[in-house]
Amino acid sequence: MLIVARKNLFSERTRLAISVGGIALAVFLIGVLLSLYRGWENKVGGFVEDSNVDVWIANEGAKDFLAAASLLPYDPSLGVDPCQQQIQAALQDPNRRSQAQKFPVQDIRECRPLIVRQMEGLKVEIQSGGEEKILKKMNLQFVGYDAGTQLGGPLRIVEGSTDAPKDNEVVVDEALGKRYGVQVGDTLKAGGRDWNVIAKSGGGDFVAAQTVFVSLDAAADALGFNDAKKTTFYVIRLKDGIDAKAFADGVDIPGVHALDRSAFASNTKDRILSNVLPILAVVLLLAFIVGLSVAGLTIYTATVEKSREYGILKAVGFRNSYLYRAVLEQSIVTGFLGFVIGIGLMLIIGPFAADVVPQFVIFTRWQDVLAVAGATLVMAGVAAYIPVRRLASIDPVAVFKA
Amino acid sequence: MTQNGRVILGMQGVTKIYGSGDAATRALDNINFDARAGEVVVIMGPSGAGKTTFLTIAGALLRPTSGTVTVSGLNITEMGEKNLPEVRRDRIGFIFQSFNLLDSLTSLENVTLVMTPDRSRGKAGVNRARELLDMLGLSHRVKSLPKNLSGGEKQRVAIGRALANNPDLILADEPTANLDSKRGREVMLLLRQIAYEMDKSVVIVSHDHRIREVASRIVWLEDGTFRSDVETARDPVCNRVIEVVGAPQTEHIGVLFYFCGEQCQRIFAENPTKFAEAG
Ligand SMILES: Nc1ncnc2c1ncn2[C@@H]1O[C@H](COP(=O)(O)OP(=O)(O)OP(=O)(O)O)[C@@H](O)[C@H]1O
Ligand SMILES: [Mg+2]
Repeated sequence: MLIVARKNLFSERTRLAISVGGIALAVFLIGVLLSLYRGWENKVGGFVEDSNVDVWIANEGAKDFLAAASLLPYDPSLGVDPCQQQIQAALQDPNRRSQAQKFPVQDIRECRPLIVRQMEGLKVEIQSGGEEKILKKMNLQFVGYDAGTQLGGPLRIVEGSTDAPKDNEVVVDEALGKRYGVQVGDTLKAGGRDWNVIAKSGGGDFVAAQTVFVSLDAAADALGFNDAKKTTFYVIRLKDGIDAKAFADGVDIPGVHALDRSAFASNTKDRILSNVLPILAVVLLLAFIVGLSVAGLTIYTATVEKSREYGILKAVGFRNSYLYRAVLEQSIVTGFLGFVIGIGLMLIIGPFAADVVPQFVIFTRWQDVLAVAGATLVMAGVAAYIPVRRLASIDPVAVFKA
Repeated sequence: MTQNGRVILGMQGVTKIYGSGDAATRALDNINFDARAGEVVVIMGPSGAGKTTFLTIAGALLRPTSGTVTVSGLNITEMGEKNLPEVRRDRIGFIFQSFNLLDSLTSLENVTLVMTPDRSRGKAGVNRARELLDMLGLSHRVKSLPKNLSGGEKQRVAIGRALANNPDLILADEPTANLDSKRGREVMLLLRQIAYEMDKSVVIVSHDHRIREVASRIVWLEDGTFRSDVETARDPVCNRVIEVVGAPQTEHIGVLFYFCGEQCQRIFAENPTKFAEAG
C-alpha cells in the first residue's frame, strides 16, 4: 500500500469507521439475504430432492409438491399394486381419452398413490370442564403414504417409533416441535380427527408449512378420498439404470404431468421463492446502493479535502496514475475491512438468529461469499471512480497560491 | 560564488498569454532569462507582473505560449506531457510560500516520499532524508507531523524535500512570506548556502526586501518583461520592495518614503515615527 494511501486512510479514524461501517452493513445485509434465500431454497426443495421418489405423476397444471390442485382418479378396491393398472384405469376415463397414450410400465419398480393436502393443524389442551382449548395453530402439509414401499414418506426418523404410522398415528416434522412444541405422545387435530404423535421426522420443513405423515388409508379416509376414488399424486420408483428424466419425458397421457425428481423439486422451490425473488433482488440492490453511497461519499469527501495535497504531489512530480492508485487503494482497503466485518457479523449473528426465529434458516455457501466479495470489490471500485476523475482535474499550479 | 557556472535554467523568447480574444492577458512577453549553477536570482515585481507565471513555466507545470525553456540542458518545451512529471521530480526542487507539506506524513516521510524509486529504495533513502534533515537542523524533528512544527521548521522540511532528488534547480515562490523575520532570515541563508555550497541554481520570487541580502542578482519583472533600469525602494510598512516611479509617496522629516499602495501609506501616516525608525 502506498504510504500516502495508508496515512490518508488511517489518519481520519472517524471517517474510516463510517465508510467501513457502510460497507460492512451492506455486506452483512447482502450476505444474510443470500444465505436466507439459500436456506429457504434448501428447505423447500430438500424434501422432494432427498425423497425416494424418482418420478411424480400429477394432474395437469399441478407441477409441484405444494400444488393443491392435483386430483387423480384412484380406485382403492383395485389395491395399490400394481399401480400401472390404476393409471391405466385413469386412462379409461372418457374425459382423458386420447389417441396417443404412452406409459412405459416396464421401467417401473414401484408405483403408489400419495395423498397430499395442505390443512390447518391444532394443538389443543383438554380443560377441566372437558372443553378443548386451542394452544397452537399450524400450517400442515398433510401426507398419506404407503407403508409398504415408503414412497413419499418421511426422509428420516429423528425421534420416536421407526414404525410406519397406522390408524390414527402421525409422524410430525421436527420443525413442529421447535416451533410449536409438538412432542411425541401429543395429540394433534387435523382433518377433523385426532392424531397421536408417534415420532418426529427430519427434512420436511417448507418454512411456511411442515409435513406430517399418516398412513395412506387413514389419509384417504379422513379426506373422503376413498369414496371419491381420488388421489393427489402417483409416485414412482424406477428400476435401476433407468433415467428419470427420459422416463418422465416418455410419459404421454392427456391431462397428466410426469415430472422427474429434480424438475419437481425446482418447481416446488419456484412456487415459494419466485415470489420472494424480486423482493430479494430489490433489497439486495438497495443494500448495494447504501454501501456504495456511504463508501463513495466518504471517499469522495476525503479526496476533496485532500485535493490540495494531491495538487502538491502533482507539482513535485507524481504522475496522475500514482494519485489514482492512492485513492483506489484506500477504497479497496475500506472495502476489504467492510467485507471482513460484514461477513464476520453474519457468521456470528446468523446461527444465533436462527435459534430465535424459526423462519430464519440461513445456509451460507462459499460461492455466495465469493459473490459478496465480488460485489464489495465493485462497490469499492465504483466508489473510487468519481474521486479519481476529480483528481485528474486538479491543477498543480494552484498550490503556488498561499 | 561562480558567476560563470553552467546555465541551469534558460528561457528564450518566452511568452505566455492567458485566455484569448478580448480577455487575453499577456502575462509574460518575450522574455529571455538565464540562471546559472551557484547563483541566487531573486525576481521582484509588483503584483500581477507575471512572477508566478514565470516560476510555473520554469517548473514545467505550465507551457509557454511560445519560446523555449531548458532545465539542466533539457528542452522541456519540446517534451511531451507524459515526461514532464519526471523532470519536475528529478531536476527541480520546489519551495512554496505555504510550505505545502503533506499533513499526515512526518518530516522524514515528507522528504523520502518524493525520492525517485532508485533513491528511496530500502534504508538508503531514509538515510539520505535523515542527513538532509540533519543538515537543516531538524534531527530532533524527523518524526514530527507538520502540525507540530513551527513555520520555519516546516519550510526547512520543505527545503529538504526540494533537495531530496538532488536537482540542479531550486524554484522558490515567496519562501519567507509566511515566516517572521528571524525564521525568514534563516531560510534565506539556507537558500544561499544551497546555491553556493551545493552549486545549485536558486531562483526566488519575492517581495521581501531582506532577501536582497542573499541575492547574487535581482531582476525586476513588470508587465511581463524584465526591466533593468528600475529604481526601487522599500515600503516601510510592509517591507516590500517596490518601484519608485509611480508609487505613492510621503515625506517625513525630510525623507521620502514610497509605498506599495495607499493602504500602507495610510498606515504610515497614522504613526510615521514608528515606521521611519524601524527602517
Ligand atoms: N490562469 C490564469 N488565467 C488568466 N489569467 C491569469 C492566470 N494566471 C495569471 N493570470 C494573469 O496573468 C498576470 C500575471 O499573473 P501572475 O500570477 O503570474 O502574477 P504575479 O507576479 O505572481 O502576481 P502576485 O505578486 O500577485 O502573485 C496577471 O494579470 C494575472 O491576472
Ligand atoms: Mg504570484
